[in-house]
Amino acid sequence: MAEVSLPEPFQSLEPFRAWALATERERRAKRLSSSMEEIQAFYDALFPQLEAVVAYLDQFPLDQLPAEAQPLYHLTLALVEVTSAVELYHHPHIFEAIEPARFRRVE
Amino acid sequence: MQTATENRRWSKEYPELGTGPVPAESCISPEYFELERERVFRRTWLNVGRVDDIPNAGDFFVRELAVCKTSILVIRGKDGVIRGFHNVCSHRSNKLVWEERGTCRGALACHFHSWGYNAQGQLTGVPDEENFHDIDKSELGLTPVTTDIWEGFIFVHLGSQPQETLTDYLGGVAEQMKGAAFHKRTHTHTYKVEENANWKVALDAQNEAYHLPFQHRYSFPGMFVLKDNRYLRLSGVKLYNHHAVWSTTYNSESTPTPTGALMNQLNTATTNSRLPMLGDFDFFVIFPNFVILQFRGIEDDYYMTYNFWPLAVDRCIWEIKFHFPPAETAGQRLSQEYLKHRICDVLQEDAVAHETLQTGLTSRAKTHLILQDDEIQIRHFHKVLEDYMGFFNGRGH
Repeated sequence: MAEVSLPEPFQSLEPFRAWALATERERRAKRLSSSMEEIQAFYDALFPQLEAVVAYLDQFPLDQLPAEAQPLYHLTLALVEVTSAVELYHHPHIFEAIEPARFRRVE
Repeated sequence: MQTATENRRWSKEYPELGTGPVPAESCISPEYFELERERVFRRTWLNVGRVDDIPNAGDFFVRELAVCKTSILVIRGKDGVIRGFHNVCSHRSNKLVWEERGTCRGALACHFHSWGYNAQGQLTGVPDEENFHDIDKSELGLTPVTTDIWEGFIFVHLGSQPQETLTDYLGGVAEQMKGAAFHKRTHTHTYKVEENANWKVALDAQNEAYHLPFQHRYSFPGMFVLKDNRYLRLSGVKLYNHHAVWSTTYNSESTPTPTGALMNQLNTATTNSRLPMLGDFDFFVIFPNFVILQFRGIEDDYYMTYNFWPLAVDRCIWEIKFHFPPAETAGQRLSQEYLKHRICDVLQEDAVAHETLQTGLTSRAKTHLILQDDEIQIRHFHKVLEDYMGFFNGRGH
């Protein structure tokens, strides 16, 4: 299935499309299986544009995001997933916490 | 309310609770746990969900109440009324519904011989009915469980004759939360952790603010260290007959992370109805195993719930739910996702402590818990528990 391109102003994020994951489970797995260098590169690419990305997404009601906005939206959720790793822990994992798989998202 | 500066103030307010150490045996004794099934969990009102979990006629969910050795079916009837039943077929007591949730379209059919029940719990179909001996279907509906609703929270009571109505049972805590528009803060996320910890060890560990600046030094550096209150003393404590609430403030001046600063600027979803709160963060313990946490937000407030479900003396399920105002834009949703993510980091740190606490208690190296004044709500919880159990005062063993 061909992927839609990211909206024009944000095409510089194309190399990070692997982070555009629809579910929390997938985003968490991606963080935990990525190196800190990969996480940092994704963060460095998206964070400076985050305000602009949100402004773009906020033109639409959340339940009517157009197809090309969906992956962009998922990228912002993935940014939230890695924000503590980058800004606090400098490590993909939380310190002194139970194994991530045991903290189950069920609904 | 301002930060407490006076030492040992809560024990002066509640002198009847005493100040001595609290026995830890209740958290490790298999005998105690067996007695809790009858003396606590069959004598109290238990929260099992919310009305919004089953909005439409026929919607149902099933609760496995291992501690009461039963499975409960909660279903909204065609008449709109929410009822609770033992999830057991009238024929030969097979477990009726196996799904965790769903919608009854027509009838719920037993997997064994297909006896069918409608959404009001009435028996409607028996295959080869003529071959039974004088059965009256109208007398063979599902066995009801006493069920009542407070502010949209569904509670069940498994005792044969509840001594108090739900309203009486909740008492002052219901008064305190009067007007909280919980229904406007829809459910967004549920997490479950199966822990190697007694349910009270997990609950006690959450039931204080003293640990926050220490245990959560990585996930929230600086947030819980206030200039004039470096040990995060509580700003309010109210202890009721069975229940309790305490509250605290945050350090709103702590330097936010770059993402946090950006999130603070985003427009957030609002319900135009603030929660009635004691402080910035209110922690209500509804005895025995239900917690409502209220958070003061910039533009609106949100809440979470915990249910601690005992499985064995040293195992429980910690169930965590987030309730935010409905997000209408991606930005609103993102700021909620951010809050939720930060809180989940904290909870994953908490969960590991529940198990290391259990390990330490099980060693019996120490026999008592030593509690400071700002842990008075834990002292209160164990007092309420002992009032039900009578274990240390002669009725037990």
